[in-house]
Amino acid sequence: MAGYDTSRAAQALRLVGVSKTYGSGENPVRALDGVSVSLAAGTFTAIMGPSGSGKSTLLQCAAGLDQPTEGRVFIDGSELTGGSETALTKFRRQRVGFIFQQFNLLPALTVMQNVALPLRLAGKKVDRKQCRSILEKVGLGDRTNHRPAELSGGQQQRVAIARALVTNPSVIFADEPTGALDTRSARSVLTLLAGAVREFGQTVVMVTHDPVAASYADSVVFLADGQMVGTLAHPTAEAVAERMTHLGDEVSLRRVVGA
Amino acid sequence: MIQLAVRSLRHRAGGFVASFLSMFLGATVVMAFAAMLDTAGGAGVDDLSEETLVTMATVVGGWGLVIVLFAVTSTMTLSVRQRAGELALLKSVGATPFQVGRMIVGETALVAVAAALLAVPLAAGGGWLLLEMLQETDQVASGLSYAFGPAALSIGIGVTLLASLGGAGVAARRATKLRAQEAMTAVTIEQTRMTRKRTIAAIVFLAAGVNCGIVTATVFDGKGIDAMQTAGQASIWFSIGLALFGPVLVRLVTAVLAGPLRMLGGASGYLAVENVRRRTQHVAGALMPIILFTGIATGTLYMQSIENSAPPAASSSIPAEDVAAIETLNLVVVGMLSVFAAIMVINTLVAATTYRRREFGQQRLVGSTPPQVMRMVGMEGVVLAAAGVLFGSIGSIVTVFPYSLARTGELLPDTTIGIYLAIVSVAATLTLASCLGAARKAIRMPAVQAVAV
Repeated sequence: MAGYDTSRAAQALRLVGVSKTYGSGENPVRALDGVSVSLAAGTFTAIMGPSGSGKSTLLQCAAGLDQPTEGRVFIDGSELTGGSETALTKFRRQRVGFIFQQFNLLPALTVMQNVALPLRLAGKKVDRKQCRSILEKVGLGDRTNHRPAELSGGQQQRVAIARALVTNPSVIFADEPTGALDTRSARSVLTLLAGAVREFGQTVVMVTHDPVAASYADSVVFLADGQMVGTLAHPTAEAVAERMTHLGDEVSLRRVVGA
Repeated sequence: MIQLAVRSLRHRAGGFVASFLSMFLGATVVMAFAAMLDTAGGAGVDDLSEETLVTMATVVGGWGLVIVLFAVTSTMTLSVRQRAGELALLKSVGATPFQVGRMIVGETALVAVAAALLAVPLAAGGGWLLLEMLQETDQVASGLSYAFGPAALSIGIGVTLLASLGGAGVAARRATKLRAQEAMTAVTIEQTRMTRKRTIAAIVFLAAGVNCGIVTATVFDGKGIDAMQTAGQASIWFSIGLALFGPVLVRLVTAVLAGPLRMLGGASGYLAVENVRRRTQHVAGALMPIILFTGIATGTLYMQSIENSAPPAASSSIPAEDVAAIETLNLVVVGMLSVFAAIMVINTLVAATTYRRREFGQQRLVGSTPPQVMRMVGMEGVVLAAAGVLFGSIGSIVTVFPYSLARTGELLPDTTIGIYLAIVSVAATLTLASCLGAARKAIRMPAVQAVAV
């Protein structure tokens, strides 16, 4: 794996006034409402908020999976411009890695083949040694020829992490990566993510609703009703939980006032 | 449970289209031919015409029963498999296997009744046209008056219902064999070896096909059109045997095509090869109707074509008047088989491809562009079409070569290659168009949504 790449922009991810409105006509839903945020390279950020706060939409817009209605998104200094799915896919291939709650490994491929797939799709030469060394780093050096269905949830998620790391992307987006895991597997997955940030200078953005998961991050961004409502540096699980409780109050208060 | 069946039907009418179509077409053809029985029972019908009319009705009715049975089993099994989650849910809230089975059979019965009733007007017209044609070609006396009555209705509706319920019963049994727990957690690791039962059945069918071929070339040598009795069946049995060996054939063809596909297809070719290798059972299921279509259509049409250009044999036991009737029957049966095989090809492939929407979504999230997904599906389709056409052609040989030998003394028939090319292009086009069309639709949904369902 390549180490920290100094040629990269200092800001791994920058969002400027990003809004997303679903539907039109009488009842448009404004899922994101003018979010601006900058995340430095080599940081681990958690995005938190009550359900319906727009955190998944934010992740999808930031990662180029969905197009914002307004605003601009920069990944590693390059602007994510609209275009065909093919164009967006090619943009993502070079700059973005994904980790999902449901792992999303391809069932027909072995662990090794799953990890090598992003390189293959991008038409790059597959370095099996490199893939193997990443799999060893996530603790699966002895499982390279297994199929996903033969692995536990925690192991599958670690394969997904290896797959995200293999292209050495500018940003890794993780959507509730521990949502389907037991506590112990969740801890090992979070430790791996935090390790990728500290040891290799990876940038990780993670959406979660779990204060314990968020406490592994360097900082937490809070979202409510599609707007950024605060940040917390060096979070602890207790501090995050406390903040989330009040976030709920604030939101309902605002709704009452707004209505 | 019957009420549930009615609701379930209303809710997912789309899932029954293929079953309905099979039943509707089957009912139409069987009913139209059964009207010949009504016609034969009319006043002033001479013996010869009566015999021709009765033979036609019985042969087509019998074949119709078998074909509709097979088609409904196949389409219902597929639609039941796609509802595995829903059925498991029913079981987990306390439905017994018997109740689930009754629901599936109940749904099918409703569809079958609707299909049979809707087929009546079309069949009445079809029967009339059929009689006109028989009279024009002098196969029956021209003075006969057309009748569409009790025989047509009872046989047409009876055959359709019997075949549909039989097919649904088989599908239901397959579905209820899974226990609730297993159905909920059904894993995607498939068994890769053929069962012993299947292997034995395949060998028996292949042997039956070869036997018919040998009898054609030896016992019926020089006996004229009599040879059709065995020659016609040969390719049917042999093709069924090959189709049962599907998993093995898929592996064979994949082994041959893997190199070129990987070299020419890049990442898409690589994925296509891996997918086919890991899913030989699924692929074999789709392969079956392609082999049957190619094998039976080629076998029967060439047999007829050889017959038409061969000199009449002196030692034939069949009177010349019946030769035209046999041709009509051959064409009707092969036409029926082909249409049903085509429905099955489309249904199987569209269902299987649509089922993979989530997988396509996952692949797109890893970095596949839509053209890469389409190329992958296209190359899988090429493997399928190549295997189907190749083994279908082999299946037809046991009819074509022995029949040619028996009728003309030459192994290779001296007839046009046009028919074969047409059959092969239809098979290949159906396969590729079904796969690509369904895949195109499947990737229209945003990738994030596709993996969420």
